[in-house]
Parts: sequence; structure tokens; C-alpha cells
Amino acid sequence: MDAQIALLLAQDGIVNGAIYALLALSLVLVFSVTRVIFVPQGELVAFGALTLAALQLGKFPPTIWLALAMGVLAIGVDLRRALNGDQISWRNTLLWSTLLPISACAWATFARPTSLPAQVALTLLICTPLGPLLWRLAFRPIADASVLVLLIVSVALHGVLMGLGLWFFGAEGSRTPAFSDARFTFADLPFNGQSLVVVGVASVLMLLMFFFFGRTMLGKALRATAMNRTGARLMGIPTGLAGDLSFAMAALIGAVSGLLIAPLTTVYYDTGFLIGLKGFVAAILGALVSYPLAVAGALLVGLLEAYASFWASAFKEVIVFTLIIPVLWWRSVRTHHVEEDE
Amino acid sequence: MKWSKTLIATALAMACVSVYADITVGVTVSATGPAASLGIPEKNTIELMPKLIGGQKVNYIVLDDASDTTTAVTNTRKLITEHKVDVILGSTITPNSLAMIDLAAESQTPMISMAASARIVEPVDAKKRWVFKTPQNDIMMALAIAQHMSAVGVKSVAFIGFADAYGEGWLQEFQKAAGLKGIQVVGVERYNRTDTSVTGQVLKLVSARPDAILVAGSGTPAALPQKALKERGYTGKVYQTHGVANNDFLRVGGKDVEDTVLPAGPMLVAAQLPANHPVRKSALDYVNAYETKFGKGSVSTFGGHAWDAGVLMQRAVSEALKKAQPGTPAFRGALRDALEGVKNAPGAHGIFNMTAGDHNGLDQRGRVMVTISNGTWKYIGD
Amino acid sequence: MSARWAVRLFAVLLIAGYLALPDFHVSLASNIGLYALVALGLVMMTGVAGMTSFGQAAFVGLGAYATAWLGTAGAQALGLTALHPALPWLGLLLGCFITAAVAGVLGAVTLRLSGHFLPLGTIAWGLSLYFLFGNLEMLGGHTGMSGVPALRIGPWTIESPRAMGGLIWVLVMALIWALTNLLDSRPGRAIRALKSGRIMAESMGVDTTHARLKVFVLAALLAALSGWLYAHLQRFINPTPFSLTIGIEYLFMAVVGGAGHLWGAVLGAALITVMKQQLQDVLPQLLGVSGSFEGVVFGLLMLLVLQRYAEGVWPTIQRLTARARPAPQKRAPQSVQENTKEKMQATTPVNTSGNTSGNTSGNTSGNTSGNTSGNTSGNTPVNTPDHVSPVILKKFLIARTLAAPGTIVLEAQGITKRFGGLVANQDIHLAVRAGEIHALIGPNGAGKSTFFNLVSGVDEPSAGTVRLAAQAMHQQPARAFAALGLCRTFQHVRLLRERSVLENVALGAHLRGEAGWLRAMLRLDRNEEAAIMAEAQFQIHRCGLTAWTHTDAGALPLGAQRIVEIARALAAAPSVLLLDEPAAGLRHQEKRQLADLLKQLRAEGLAILVVEHDMEFVMNLADRVSVLDFGQMIAQGTPKEIQQHPAVLQAYLGGVA
Repeated sequence: MDAQIALLLAQDGIVNGAIYALLALSLVLVFSVTRVIFVPQGELVAFGALTLAALQLGKFPPTIWLALAMGVLAIGVDLRRALNGDQISWRNTLLWSTLLPISACAWATFARPTSLPAQVALTLLICTPLGPLLWRLAFRPIADASVLVLLIVSVALHGVLMGLGLWFFGAEGSRTPAFSDARFTFADLPFNGQSLVVVGVASVLMLLMFFFFGRTMLGKALRATAMNRTGARLMGIPTGLAGDLSFAMAALIGAVSGLLIAPLTTVYYDTGFLIGLKGFVAAILGALVSYPLAVAGALLVGLLEAYASFWASAFKEVIVFTLIIPVLWWRSVRTHHVEEDE
Repeated sequence: MKWSKTLIATALAMACVSVYADITVGVTVSATGPAASLGIPEKNTIELMPKLIGGQKVNYIVLDDASDTTTAVTNTRKLITEHKVDVILGSTITPNSLAMIDLAAESQTPMISMAASARIVEPVDAKKRWVFKTPQNDIMMALAIAQHMSAVGVKSVAFIGFADAYGEGWLQEFQKAAGLKGIQVVGVERYNRTDTSVTGQVLKLVSARPDAILVAGSGTPAALPQKALKERGYTGKVYQTHGVANNDFLRVGGKDVEDTVLPAGPMLVAAQLPANHPVRKSALDYVNAYETKFGKGSVSTFGGHAWDAGVLMQRAVSEALKKAQPGTPAFRGALRDALEGVKNAPGAHGIFNMTAGDHNGLDQRGRVMVTISNGTWKYIGD
Repeated sequence: MSARWAVRLFAVLLIAGYLALPDFHVSLASNIGLYALVALGLVMMTGVAGMTSFGQAAFVGLGAYATAWLGTAGAQALGLTALHPALPWLGLLLGCFITAAVAGVLGAVTLRLSGHFLPLGTIAWGLSLYFLFGNLEMLGGHTGMSGVPALRIGPWTIESPRAMGGLIWVLVMALIWALTNLLDSRPGRAIRALKSGRIMAESMGVDTTHARLKVFVLAALLAALSGWLYAHLQRFINPTPFSLTIGIEYLFMAVVGGAGHLWGAVLGAALITVMKQQLQDVLPQLLGVSGSFEGVVFGLLMLLVLQRYAEGVWPTIQRLTARARPAPQKRAPQSVQENTKEKMQATTPVNTSGNTSGNTSGNTSGNTSGNTSGNTSGNTPVNTPDHVSPVILKKFLIARTLAAPGTIVLEAQGITKRFGGLVANQDIHLAVRAGEIHALIGPNGAGKSTFFNLVSGVDEPSAGTVRLAAQAMHQQPARAFAALGLCRTFQHVRLLRERSVLENVALGAHLRGEAGWLRAMLRLDRNEEAAIMAEAQFQIHRCGLTAWTHTDAGALPLGAQRIVEIARALAAAPSVLLLDEPAAGLRHQEKRQLADLLKQLRAEGLAILVVEHDMEFVMNLADRVSVLDFGQMIAQGTPKEIQQHPAVLQAYLGGVA
């Protein structure tokens, strides 16, 4: 392996690592706010990429039907809760379950966007409400269950979404055109525009997230909810809102990640799962609570993967997923007293 | 009294006829899971198969094995013991087919696999005498590639294949074929169907400086290494296997897969075949039938293997009907014998000639060489 | 017809039915049995011990690959072909060995961490083992290995699916029997305790990490056994049946069936296997199109089950059948809230035995022979249930020698605890003596509970030393404190809410028994178990809880639950008793009974440290009082001294004075 190959691999690792970092961040976010380990994150990645691909082929993306159908169900759920005498924030319900899906549907039907930016915007408009809708239908009814039950529900949901993905998009994959076709050489190292777009967008998103959590009222409220649910509720921050928001961000980040990788690789209905899992490995490196550590972990996973695919391609996945074990071991030896489960 | 007796007798007779006269065909394909892109066109193809053979009604029972061995075995057992099928078509992938052999042999039910590996039918022994398969053996395709390579002066080649049964089978066969033609294999790398990047593998292959690179994958995922090779400025020849042969590959591969050379079943370029090509007509039959039902450009060579299984089955069933009633062990035995005796059966992928020692039955007519030019498949010779 | 004959007849019918079953159903039954084995392990992990694994399929793979390899290529490589008939059995040994080793390492790495790291870890290594199987050429790679030899038992070859199915189900039944025994025993109670909080279990002397590791390895071994059977049933293996997807399905089986119940595993395996079969047949007809909706419908059904029947189907069935039958006796006290008072009055023997026997025996023999339960139960034989003589109690339960009254048994020497910048306890000195009740009081947030955790090993002081029975307890876990005779109750009650009061109290006697897993599984622990139960019943009786012996602890009023915690602590035969707000939630009469009980225990020679808010209760009971305020010890002395201490008045009445 000469220096140039090493650098190329590093480049590849950083590009993939940036995607894993985005996913890891949203996994940490969702977990800390709602205690849900959001396994279906990977499916949202695939949905984002394949929705854009469908739009480019001039097809009506089936994900719109999914959003509409889930919207109807979510309204049904809230109606029943209202009948039971619960306080419902109808503004939020209507936003996620009606306004956004219907406007997406209208846009796709009547305007039929043809430019790439408009299609990207439409894709995000379709995919983002999927997050809060999933939260409302699958998780909110059992929001107080243990982490384990939520995790199992999460895995069941992964199965459902993957099956729907196969039904919607078929078994063959799709690629979307690059956001940038630029290719240039810098310091003897070839760069392509799309990789830079990935790293750039990911960095901007991450900075925005740090800003959001550090500076804005809403972000601070979310963080407060993550620290202490009961306390946050007493302070007037509704848990429901926190769930909606964190899942919307997770869905948005998932869809963006999908859009970013779709020009680099072929995306299949089941591509997302493994990508999501690698995001998990990164999130676990950050102990599911630390954002900076999760980003560092993601880069580590990306780099490890790149070098492993050079040295021992057949065992690449084994190496990446086994990484978790020394990390957990390290955490374990630092813990003297038993940790209490939730 | 007399009337009612007659009625009952007639009813019984009719019941017997309807139970025993129907031919039951059991199908298990991998319509979900990792092999879904192969299994779905196969499943679709079953719908095109004749509902009547030799005047007898044919029932098809189609099950999905989710690309999983245990499910394939359970399906097979269900087909055999619950539905009392006369013949089994399937499964899509090699491991599933291998696992089903024992059941087919034990229940003495003929089975026609649509999976690639020659291990499924070779060597024909007490168990495998019940097993047939339609896709070309990998060695035949591998030899075609090796031949083409040596003809264009390739001395060294590198291999990158799926980390699954398909890639594994190809690696074995291609190493044999390359050895025969004196071509050196200078690098072997593996990747997964859902990998997002193969940069590492490609860099390693390129650093070995091979004259040509063979990609062994099926469907659209096979485009990924080729795109990465282009990206890294590799200028040597790139070969693909017959696993890529569907139009989605062209869609995803775009201009990066231009000039790729691959062996394929004749149906991939059926319309371009010379009028006197022995497979032209039968291949076009299938392509037209499929595209009429599922839309233009939707056909894939995987479905062709299912179609060929149907061709073999039809031939054999009409033979066996002369000897025994469907639903009986005798019929299944006759069906097996008839399958082994199939001669000159034209299918989508070639002309089948079975013998007691060859349960695949395809010969050189079962493959053509194809290249990709201007975003379409182009026939370049046998 | 007696019950035994009914069971035998049922068994005969079952066997006859099995022999007449159509072939396809036999193979379904075999699959269900194989899945049930794995699901049993998951029930032990998830429902009983509160851990989760998505990676069981990988262990199934280890079991299957070990025997398949040894039976084919491995036998040739190792030159073992001569041992041909025994190869499958060697394969089983090899599989179990590898599985135990792998599970041991993985468990050691993840099990100390809190709950969700284990399942996430299992997803990761489940995947990596799967890829490993596929990429090792000696294991047949992705294509698989055929020609796995058939199983042989003596002269018989078990080749037909029907025979294999029989073997599988015999094993399933035998294991359910063994696991039922295990759960109904000393180690079983320890396993159950893992689920509702490890701090409590540790305080009862359970080594929770070790216990979790053992449960995890057990579940892995069950999976490996299933894999071994699978390999010899299918005779062909490749990696797909051991993938993460299947691992997830195993967990679904356990959860759908009812993760808290062994039979739930069997039910779940059956339900899911049959459901998938039915979906395959019904869905295409129902929807008219042949899509691939099985996965979607299956997932949706899972969601529904989890939202509606979070405990699984088995408990739901149990409830329905229970409703159909007359209510069993143990559920008798329905309106516990209302008649708390009457019950405690009616059944309390504390006053009488406490004043007469307790006093004398405690004072005279406390420093010599010492076993609290031995002494007192000897004096009150009428109350000891189950006809177990005290001799048996002594013979089977480990006893403890109490220190002489007045000896310092628990001592805090200048301990400080900081949480970040906050100092919760600062330089605290406190000594608790045998035969003395020491009360710790102070306003809310004064650091009393922190102190309690420090002197019971739940937490580690930042500085200073805790001495228990003259030993410095640096870096010692709570179970080491328990082993030295310290037992405690909790401010927030930590009971196994779904287990009976009897079982909860019996857990307290954990360290006094020795029965291990194997003895428990084979039911060789019955004498010890009877002794523990007798001891538990005695303590329940002594605390006036007899009427609730068989009631689920969670159904009791909160005050009574606190008393159950005391009974549990007493079952440990402690020399030091730490009580965290024992009188909270009790009525006046109940408080008096509690005070009587504590006085009796003091007379027996126990050292008692009690945190309490009720000043009247404290001042009438305690020999010595310590006062904490803002993490600092502001006063120590007799109740009288404390009541007049200016600093205390200042702290309690604030700036008013």
C-alpha cells in the first residue's frame, strides 16, 4: 500500500464516515429524547434515495401514499385519544398528518417538479413527516414502556418498512445523478465533487445541530427533555412535542443521508439497514449520549471499513461489527458499580 | 334409489377425476430477501406458464422462501406432503436448491432448480437423479470469458465477486477456466450486495495491474465495482457474468458500463440473433410473452430460467401423461424419466438435451457473447 | 381418575397423536421445537432476567456448524473418521464448548453495562458471526455444507423427520422441566431478582454480573443445542438460517408468547411458525395479488401484539382461563387497601413473642450461639409452618454469629461523597453498635439516602472509609456488605412486584443457602429449599404479614410493602439492619407494631440504623440519634440531647427561632 492508496482510502472512509456520523447523531438524538433506539432509521435512508429516484423517472413516489395513509391513521388515533378525554394538540397533529403529506401530494401531482433542487425539496417534504407519524403510531402509545420493549417495537417496524420498501420500489436498486460532477486533482489526489458535497452537507448539518441544541430555545427544551422527562413536563415542555421533533429530525437526516449517498452507490430497498447499523456502531462508541464522540466514532467506522475493504475485503463486515466489542469492554472496565437499568 | 346411486357414483368419479387428473406444480422462489431481484421475475414467469398440458388442468402453487434455506426446505416439504405436487420448480439460489435435494429424492419427486451452481446436479447419483436445473453451468460461461480473454490477448486478470454463493461459485469455476487458457489470476476481492463503497477492493485490484477485471455479481449491484474502476481511471477490459443480464443493470450502470463484455443466455439479445440461430424463436417467444404482460423492457434473464424450467416440465408432463395418472408415484417416476429423456427442447436460454449423466442439458448454443454499447446489449457472436 | 392418571393418559394420547400426524405437520412440529429451544433461552434472558439478545441465531449457527464440520471435513482433518457413529455427539460437545466460550467472552464484555448495550452488542456480533460463517472456506462458505451425518443413539440411527421430531420434543420437555425447577429455587429467585433492579439483588448478596453471565451462557447453550439438532435434521447447512433476521424472529417468538413464562416460548414459537405458514397461504388469496406482504403483515401483527399484549399471549390466556375458573386462593385479599389494619392486627404475634422469648434469648445467647432465626423459631414452634423442625433449619441454612452488644459493627470514618461539584456528604463519622438502634434524621435533601448507599456498598465514597465488622470496605460491592451480615431496605420499595411475598422474603435468605444451578434443575435442593421457605414464612409471620404470604408483593399497600422489605432483610439473618424510612405510609397502630419488632430485634443483638422522618417514632425508639443537614453531621447524641440541641432546632425550624 503506497501513500496515495492510503490517502484515497482515507478519503473514501471520511465520505462514508460523514454519512454514518449523520445517522449516529440522529440515533443519539432520538434515543436521548424518547429512549427509542430507532432501528428503522436505515429504511428512511433508502426511502429518501428511492423517492428521489422515482421522481426523476417521472413516477409518482409511493412513499406519498405511505405518508397519507399513516396521516389518516394518526388522526384516527388522536380522535380516539380525544374521546378518552386526553388533551390533543391538534395543531401538531394536523401539521404532520395532513398538511405536509397533502401538500407533498399536491406538489407531486400538479407541479411535477423537474429540476433537481425542487425534486430534492419534494423528497424531503415527503420523508420528513414519516418520522413523527411513525412515532405517533408505533411508539407514543407505549412511550412509557422499557427501553427493551421500545427496541423490539423498533425492530418490528424495521421489518414492516423494509417489506414496504420492496413492494414500493422493487428489488432492483437505483442511482440518482450527482449533485456535482466536478472532478479535480489536488496534491496528486483525485477528488470528485459529490464526495465533497457529502462531507460539506454533513458538516453543515452537524454544525446546525450543535447550534440548534446549544443556542435555540427549542433545542434547549429538547435537551432538557433528554435529561429529565418528568422535569421537562413540569416545566411545560410537552413530551409529545419532543417526540414529534426528534423523530422529524431523524427522518429528515435519514432522507438527506439517502440523497447524499444515492449518487455514490446504488441504493436498494434493503441498503439502509446495514448503513443504519454502522451508524449504530458509531453511536455506541459515543455511549448513545455523547454527540462529539458519536461523530468521532462514525469517522472511525468509516476509516476502518475503507482500510478493511483493502486488506481483507471478505471479512470487512466482521471487522467493522466486531469493533463494538473492544469498545464495550473498555466501557465495562471503567464501570465499577453495577448500573441500574431503566 | 337407482338414481341416487348413479348420482353418487358419478359424483365420486368426478371427484376422483378432479383430484387425480390435475397436475400440481409446486414452486418455491426467493421473491423476498437478498435474492429478490432474481426471484421476482421468476415468480412473474410462473404466471405465463400454460394452464393446460395435454388436455389436463395444471395447478401452480407458488411459495416464497425469502432467500432462506430453512424456509425453502419447509416449503418443499409442504409442497410434497400437503399439496402432493408432481414436480417442484425451484429454488432461485444455490444453497436453497442444495438443501432441497434430499427431500426431492426421499419423496421421489422430480425437481427443476433455477440456481446456477453445477453442484446441484453433478455428479448425478442416487439422490440427484431426481434433480435437474436450467441455468447454464458456471464453467461453460467461465470458459467463454476465458476464451474471449485469450483471444484479445489478456494475460492477467483480477476477480471481484459477491460475498455469497454466486461469487463463490464463479471464483472456483473461473479459476479453472483461466488455468486452462493460461491466464493468470492476480487478485481476488469480495464485496457485499448492499455495500456503499468498493474503493478499497478496487484500489487493491488496480494496484495489481491486471489486463482485465472480471466482476461476478448479479443484477444492479454488479455495476458498483465497475463504476469505482472508472472512477479510479482503470482502462483495462472489464468483464461481467451472465448474472447482470437485465435492463436495470444498464439503467444503473449508465455510461460507466459501456464496452463491458459478458457471456449471456441468447434471450438477452434475442432480437439481434441471426434468423437461423436455433434459439432465436424460442427466446423471442418468452421475451414477448413476458413483456406483453409486465411491460416493455421488464424482462430479465432470471425469469428465462424459470421459463425454461416450465419448458422442460411441459415436455416431460405430456410424455408422462401417457404412462400414468398425475398425483401418483408412478407419474412422478415417469416424469423424471421423461425429463431425463428430453431432447431438443428449445427454451429461452438454449436447446436442452438431457442425458442420464447431464441434468442441465445446455450446450454451446446456450450462450452468446454480448457487449454493451450505447446503453443497450449488443450481440457480438457465439 | 386421579390427576396422575390423567397426565399419563394425556401423554399417551399425545404420543399417539404425534405418530398419526401428517408428514408436513411433523416437520412443522420439529421446527417449532427447535425454535422453542432458542426461545426458552430468550425467556430466561428477557422475561426472567431482564436482558435481551438479537444474536441467538448466531449461537444456533455455532452449534450447527460445529457438528457439521466435525461430521464432515473436520473428521478427516483430525483423523477421527474411525469414530464415525460418535461424531455427532463429539460435535455437540464441541458446539457447546465453543458457544460457552464465545458467550462467556461476549457476556463478560457487555453484561456489566446497562440494559440496552447488550442487545445492541448482539446485533453487531450476530452480524459478524454470520459473515464469518459465510467467508470461511472450511465451513463451506456461502454455498453451504452437505452430507452432515445422521444422529445415532446406540444401535439406532435417527434419520426420519418423525424420529428427529420426537427427539427434539423430548429434549424440549426435559428442558422445560429443568428450567421450571431452576426458577423455583434459590438460584432461580436470584435470576428473577436481576430483572427488577440489580441494586436490590446485589444488596441481597447476589453477584448480579455473574448471574447474568450464567443466564446468558445458558441461553446460548440452548441455542447451540437447537443448532445441533437442526444440523442433524436438515443434514445441510449454510449461513442464511443464522442471520440477524432470524435472530430477530427468535426474539419475537419469546415476546409474543410471553417472555416471562417458559411455556410462552413454546406458544410463541408455535404461533409464529403457524402464522407464517398461514400468511403464506391466506394472503395471496386475500389480496388477490402475489406480492411479498408476509413480512409487512408479520411486522404489523408484532406491533399490535406489543402494543396490546405487552406481556405476550400466554399470560393473557392464563388470565382468561383463570377468569373462567373460580379464583385461586392466593388472590384472596382483593381489597387490601381497606383491611390493612385489621389484617396486621389480627395476625401479629410480634408483641407476645417479642417481649418474652426474644428478650431473654437475645440477651443471653446473642453473643454465643447467635442464629436469630434458630433461636426465635425454637421458641415459637407453633408458628413455624410446613412441619419443618428447627433442626432442619439449622442443618440446611448457614447461620451467623452476632457480635457482643455494644461492639461497633458498622462505622463511617470521615466519609465524603461528591457528585460533580455538589457535596452530598461531607466528612461524616458515625458508628452503629450491636444491640442498639441508631436513628439518622435530617431535612429532605440532607444527604441521608446518599449516606445509606455509601454504607451499604451501593455507591462508593469519594473519600473516607466504611468499616463493616471491623473490615475496611474499599471498592467492595453491595454483595460483599451483605456477606458480612449487613442487610437493608430501600426508600423506594424494591420488590419483585409480580412475585409472591413469600418468594420476595425467601430471596433475603439467598446467602444462607448454597444450592447451585445443577442441583436446582435436578431438584436435589429440596431440603435446603424447604428450610429457606420455612425461614421466610417465619419472618413473614413475625412481621405480621401472614395473610399475604401468597399475594403478589405489588398488590400490597405501600406501607405493607415496606414491612415485606424488612421481612426480606430479616430472612438474611443479618447482624446489621439498615432501614430507610420504614414507617412511611404506616398507620399509627402499625407503627407501634413496627417499633415493637425493632425493639425485639435490638434485644436479640442486632445493630439497627434507621432513617426516619417521624420524630415521635424515632425519639421513642432510638438509643442514639445523628442529625444531617446539607451533607454535614450537625449533632449526635441521645434523643433527649438532640431534642434540645440548638443546631438541630435551627436546621428544623429554620431562621424562625
